[in-house]
Amino acid sequence: MPFACIFVPDLPVQALLRTEPELRSQAVVVLEGETPLQKVFAMNEHARRAGVDRGMTRLQVETCADLVLRTRSLLQEDAAHAALLDCVQSFSPQVEDVAPDTVVLDLAGLQTLFGPLPKIARDLAHRASQLCLECSVAVASNPDTAMLAARGFSGVTVIPQAKEAEQLGRLPMEILFAGKQDDAESEQLVETFQRWGIHYLRELAALPSVALSERLGERGVYLQKLARGETSRTLIPLEPPLNFQEAIELEHPLVLLEPLAFLLSQMLEQLCARLSSRALATQELRLELELQTGWQNDELVDRVERGEARQHFQRTLRIPVPILDSKTFLKLLQLDLKAHPPGAPITKMHLSAEPVRPRPAQNGLFLPPSPETEKLELTLARIAAVVGEDRVGSLQLLDTHRRDGFRMQHFAMPQLAAKPRANGNSHSQQNSDDLVTALRIFRPPVAVTVNVQDGRPTHIASHKKKEIDGTILWAAGPWRSSGDWWEQDGWARDEWDIAVQQEPGIAFYRLVRDLLSGRWLVEGSYD
Amino acid sequence: MYIELHSRSAFSFLEGASLPEKLIDTCADLDMPAMALLDRDGVYGAPRFHMAAAKAGIKAHIGAEITFEPFSPLILSHSCSRLHQQDESKDLPQQYAKKAGTPRGLKSTQNDNAFCIPLLVSSRVGYQNLCRLITKMKLRETRKGEGMAREEELQEHAAGLVCLTGGDDGPLANALKYGGIECAKEIVGHLAGIFGPQNVYVELQRHFHRGQEARNRAAMAIARSLHLPLLATNGVCYATSRERELCDVFTAIRSHCTLATAGRLLARNSERFLKSFAEMQVLFADVPEAIANTLELSARLEFTLKDLGYQFPKYPVPEGETMMLFLRERTWEGFQQRYGRASADLQVRARRQIERELKLIEKLDLPGYFLIVWDLVRFCRAEKILVQGRGSAANSAVCYSLGITAVDPVGMELLFERFLSEQRGEMPDIDLDLPSGDQRERVIQYLYKRYGERGAAMTANVITYRSRMAGREMGKALGFDPETLDKVSAAVSTWEYRDQNDTFDHRFRDAGLDLNHPRLRKYFELCVAVQDLPRHLGQHSGGMVICQGQLDSVVPLEPASMPGRVVVQWDKEDCADLGIIKVDLLGLGMMAVLEDSIQLIRNHHQEEVDLAHLPANDADVYSTLQKADTIGMFQIESRAQMSCLPRLQAKTFYDIVVQVAIIRPGPIVGQMVNPYLQRRQGREAVTYAHPSLEPVLKRTLGVPLFQEQLLRIAMVVANFSGGEAEELRRAMGFKRSEKRMREIEAKLRAGMEQNGISREAQEQIVLSITSFALYGFPESHAASFALIAYASAYLKCHYLAAFTAALLNNQPMGFYRPATIVKDAQRHGLKVLPIDVTRSEWNCTLELQSAVSAQHSAKSAGRSPLVESKIGNRHSTLALRLGLRYARGLREEAAQALVRQRNLAQFASIRDLVHRVPELRKDELQTLAEIGALNAIGNGGFPLHRRDALWQVERAVRLSGPLLDGLPEPDTTSPLRPMDAEERLVADFRSTGMTVGPHPMAYHRARMHAKGIRKASDLRSIPNGQHLRIGGCVIARQRPGTAKGFVFLSLEDETGVANAIIHPDLFQQNRLLVSSEQFLMVEGILQNQDNVISVKAERILPLEVTRARTTSHDFY
Repeated sequence: MPFACIFVPDLPVQALLRTEPELRSQAVVVLEGETPLQKVFAMNEHARRAGVDRGMTRLQVETCADLVLRTRSLLQEDAAHAALLDCVQSFSPQVEDVAPDTVVLDLAGLQTLFGPLPKIARDLAHRASQLCLECSVAVASNPDTAMLAARGFSGVTVIPQAKEAEQLGRLPMEILFAGKQDDAESEQLVETFQRWGIHYLRELAALPSVALSERLGERGVYLQKLARGETSRTLIPLEPPLNFQEAIELEHPLVLLEPLAFLLSQMLEQLCARLSSRALATQELRLELELQTGWQNDELVDRVERGEARQHFQRTLRIPVPILDSKTFLKLLQLDLKAHPPGAPITKMHLSAEPVRPRPAQNGLFLPPSPETEKLELTLARIAAVVGEDRVGSLQLLDTHRRDGFRMQHFAMPQLAAKPRANGNSHSQQNSDDLVTALRIFRPPVAVTVNVQDGRPTHIASHKKKEIDGTILWAAGPWRSSGDWWEQDGWARDEWDIAVQQEPGIAFYRLVRDLLSGRWLVEGSYD
Repeated sequence: MYIELHSRSAFSFLEGASLPEKLIDTCADLDMPAMALLDRDGVYGAPRFHMAAAKAGIKAHIGAEITFEPFSPLILSHSCSRLHQQDESKDLPQQYAKKAGTPRGLKSTQNDNAFCIPLLVSSRVGYQNLCRLITKMKLRETRKGEGMAREEELQEHAAGLVCLTGGDDGPLANALKYGGIECAKEIVGHLAGIFGPQNVYVELQRHFHRGQEARNRAAMAIARSLHLPLLATNGVCYATSRERELCDVFTAIRSHCTLATAGRLLARNSERFLKSFAEMQVLFADVPEAIANTLELSARLEFTLKDLGYQFPKYPVPEGETMMLFLRERTWEGFQQRYGRASADLQVRARRQIERELKLIEKLDLPGYFLIVWDLVRFCRAEKILVQGRGSAANSAVCYSLGITAVDPVGMELLFERFLSEQRGEMPDIDLDLPSGDQRERVIQYLYKRYGERGAAMTANVITYRSRMAGREMGKALGFDPETLDKVSAAVSTWEYRDQNDTFDHRFRDAGLDLNHPRLRKYFELCVAVQDLPRHLGQHSGGMVICQGQLDSVVPLEPASMPGRVVVQWDKEDCADLGIIKVDLLGLGMMAVLEDSIQLIRNHHQEEVDLAHLPANDADVYSTLQKADTIGMFQIESRAQMSCLPRLQAKTFYDIVVQVAIIRPGPIVGQMVNPYLQRRQGREAVTYAHPSLEPVLKRTLGVPLFQEQLLRIAMVVANFSGGEAEELRRAMGFKRSEKRMREIEAKLRAGMEQNGISREAQEQIVLSITSFALYGFPESHAASFALIAYASAYLKCHYLAAFTAALLNNQPMGFYRPATIVKDAQRHGLKVLPIDVTRSEWNCTLELQSAVSAQHSAKSAGRSPLVESKIGNRHSTLALRLGLRYARGLREEAAQALVRQRNLAQFASIRDLVHRVPELRKDELQTLAEIGALNAIGNGGFPLHRRDALWQVERAVRLSGPLLDGLPEPDTTSPLRPMDAEERLVADFRSTGMTVGPHPMAYHRARMHAKGIRKASDLRSIPNGQHLRIGGCVIARQRPGTAKGFVFLSLEDETGVANAIIHPDLFQQNRLLVSSEQFLMVEGILQNQDNVISVKAERILPLEVTRARTTSHDFY
């Protein structure tokens, strides 16, 4: 049973070069990590020859002339991997996805279809090359031998039956441990083989098997079998992904949202029916629209020219619980599109759903009643459409002295939260020292003009809120705080609690001075 | 006026961000007449605070913040019950409880309800109480840096102390938090009961916090109701607000988190800086009495560290005798031994000197000190521990007579005032050199035993932030990943010389970090700011302080990391500044080498070597020194020393004294080296700046080389007394004060003027004194070292095998790596045998070899016939067997178990070894097999090679089950091919750091020859100025601070060591190559000046020789 393996050397680089083929002849380095601590993750042969090594920092490689630096793109790597799978699946349905850069396929019975094995191997390499992937391909009688050969020899290699040990023998021992550098057992074995002076697979293959098993156990024997090309196993076939996608190509471009909603409704019903037939639901809907680029609108033409208007328009809806209700989906999509219109006529629509298991029909018996998920989501989406997405959800207080140090979290159903929220949640607690009477916060704070005497505010005036105007009768403070000095957005402020004489009586406010900008703001009023 | 009475320095270790000196400077800027330092759980920063304050004319109050366990519930009433119920804090949100309830420095394992009481010392009794209180709490804990005091201890030691109610982590705030105002009132009332109402001040702090203001209102109410005074403080943690950043970083380090995750553990604002009267007056405008009380309290605090009350212990003498009388008797007894056979003239001079010294010792009331050191030396002699006094003590004839030192100060005309002077009012300092290791430990334990656990202690060693630690910890706080931190640490250069490119800035760039990025810029700033701030307390290697009575009433004691050791909270400088006498018991590697050598010689040559009576003018020693063949010899083995030895051509012992002293920053910076050598070689006339200096400088040919000479110059030309001259040296010393220097210089010039010395000569003299006093070597010290240097040279010349074995057994020490020492010994004809489990002990040993094989090895090593005959005649039958200690990763207990089993019966096979020595781990066995240490095992008589052994080890360590375990299994050959020479080299260097086989360069000589690379041994015969190439393994890289950026490389090949000098520009071009490459080829011009040979590099290239990881000794 012949097998082929296709291997993409330096996949992260090749994935990037697929979109920038003009860089093929240059030294390309792929960096990973967050600035300012980016490091070299992968490089092509040109860069390797220029002295670039994995783990070097950005600054170090920047000093080398003629290097092209790119940041690692997992998306592009996924795309390259998908392309690789497409390539092999067009030859054989029996495919094992070994690693992002390595795929093995079963060639049994394909000779009658595609010709002799060397031709299949060449065709595979050619097909991959058409997909902008320079691969090495090896064909052998078992998957492991094919894999070792593909990783060890460049170009196309066909290993005839019974010649496995001879051919593999030329390969260095590192091939056996490729991709397993972090495994402690592998590390030990590498060291042992080095001590023994075993540098090539032929040397490992030549060791007496029984003696080897006495020393290195099963793992040693397995490695020797690999080195001799004697392993035999069946492939672990790649399961085709469950693909829930619907698409419509339009004869006439759509401009209005209403007909779009009609089409979306049809597609959603189809999708929901398909999901339902497999007892699945979804938490994520992806809508991808192809737009007409030649749209006769001066502004849009400008935007196209500036590269701002996109040909593809994409929106993703994420819902905290799995649901399967096409009407809810439609409403949510409508709200989302209203808030984020595509901006150009639509020529093509793709809608896909990420399948998940549906949630149990009923909540716990003793849980407090909560609104129906679908309704809650719709309500939230409606609110978000009005106030903005980053202003809806539940507050999560951050552990900081910074006033208003919080972030918004999406509402989560109680049973989905990782841990029940006891009232002792650390982040939501205020320091008891800070407890004051109720403070009604002004959002946004009101900018005011303040007169200061001997460092204390004496008079306050506001253009926006007429009532905040008058002599400051009494002021407590300043309450000073500052922090995050190591970040670019460090802050420093003084707070005052002030009493201002007003018509109906005395009003109490919290007055704040931003010490970095010098601005005075009223942040709220005390009850 | 306002006085800050609650401040913390960086000596609160990660809880304060300014040095005491910085606090005092700021205090002086603010015109504050006094200030108190209250470091956390100790008085670590007090001496420096006291000294700085004394200079600035500020009164330094001393105190400490003491951490307490919660007070007993039996004493306090029901309202405070929550304070004692630890579990109650669980009611609080977990994070809040941890953050708010735990005082800053307390570990999570400690009580959450613990609090800190700030205590100020008002009298000496109070100080003694504070020290005892701290000692009790510290010594109770087994782990360093922890411990809490108890209420009963506070009651016992409250006298003479003034209590404040503290800030955020004080007892008042703690009680308010957990028990409310009633409880707080009760706690404060309880404190008033312990200290007396007049000694408790209710503390108010205002850092612009709302919560703090609520506490202040409660505090004022409590103070009113209990009739206690209020006191304003600022709870200072740093001198200026800018240092808040560092304080935040320290908080993150202490809490083992990053700045980003520290959250509210960090300070709310930057207000804990030293504030002026005006600022505090505004802050406390509503309670002016709180400010006024700071003056009142300051006036009450009478105690300063001047009033320490330290006394040196009395030496027990027989009844009817005084210590002085006893000392006199011992001295004159010693005189008979030391000077009994001396010339009449010397005897007279010595007698006169001893009388003079004894008088001064009596006057300064120091006989006890001398007797205690004498007693210590006597103990060493009785225990056969080598001991030798050094340093300025060697200037004393009394010390010489008592056997403390080995150099005759009268015969050598050394200056006594350098050791002890009446004017200086300082305690003498005696350093004793002892063999490092167990022997020194025995002497230390003797002191503990004799003076009690609380009567003697080691001095501390304050570990401060240096480049590497700063880079690592600041980066960690900023959340950098470990890999980046490693890079930064590795990039921190430790070259002694720093050029303008060698800044922090460049080091960051070397690590691949871009300083234009704001975050990295902040990192950089923090690294710079934290330099020299204390990180934690260590233990000084040898300084011991002893006290009459209880040392714990003079300075707090705490446990050291080493079990059984107690350490004081001050370092040796602090102890000296406060007049505490210390004895330095210094472990000197070479003393251990000498001791071990003597033992080996006794065992293998059946000869007894007495270091005190070595042949004085051994021709071999001087001939070796003149050839600069000094690898392994004490103090004269460095490259710089070697480059001087052939020019100095030592012929007498005094020449060695000069040799030891001349390669020092003092003579080098003062440009004394060349004039001296020129004059010595007769190329320059011997002249004196003034004729009156001739007697002083005659011995050193008119060039001042020793500190004593400078003192004498001052005495001769400016009529200084001995004490004044020593004062001058100190003024020019490390802690230079411009003002003091100017004063003394004026005095010096006035004296010279009076003696009619010309202006020109005056300038010359002042220049030599100022440039020299800082780094010069005392002659007495040089003489003590020269004795050891001579002994080491003598042993190396006459007992090479024993000396080399001892040297290898006491590594690390000296200038060279063991690999170089072994190669040097081999070149001198010593056969060095590899590690062998059937022969090797833990240490390197000597083995008898047949004379024929020794001769053969000598010839193959290519040594000169002269050395061959000398060494061959005597010791050709002795070879050195490397010890198991050189097998990397092999633990001593496993090695000792192996030796024990072998002594019972030889190992039949590797399996037998594994079976009988279960202590050996798999990795240890692999290492032994890899270096060939198992090759000699085996039955059947067939030899194993290293890979056979590796093959067997792998089998033997796998358990075969109880049934088969007992069956003997012979070793068999393996299917593995033997290691080739290169593989053996790699294995040797990886697992022993050296090879006993040929030098790596020897394998490539033909190739090197083809490249035109000359052997090191050839250089001697090549004329000066010739263009050539040298190459070899880099064994030392140096960039000395005195060499203006030049780099010196030592390249070793199979014939010896060649030196290369690299110009700073060339170094810049080849920085990475020079700093990291193992084998180098240097092309340049040969310089041969008076047999000092080096190559002035013009081009540097890497050499491909071996993959073995050789190491070099760098960055001196």
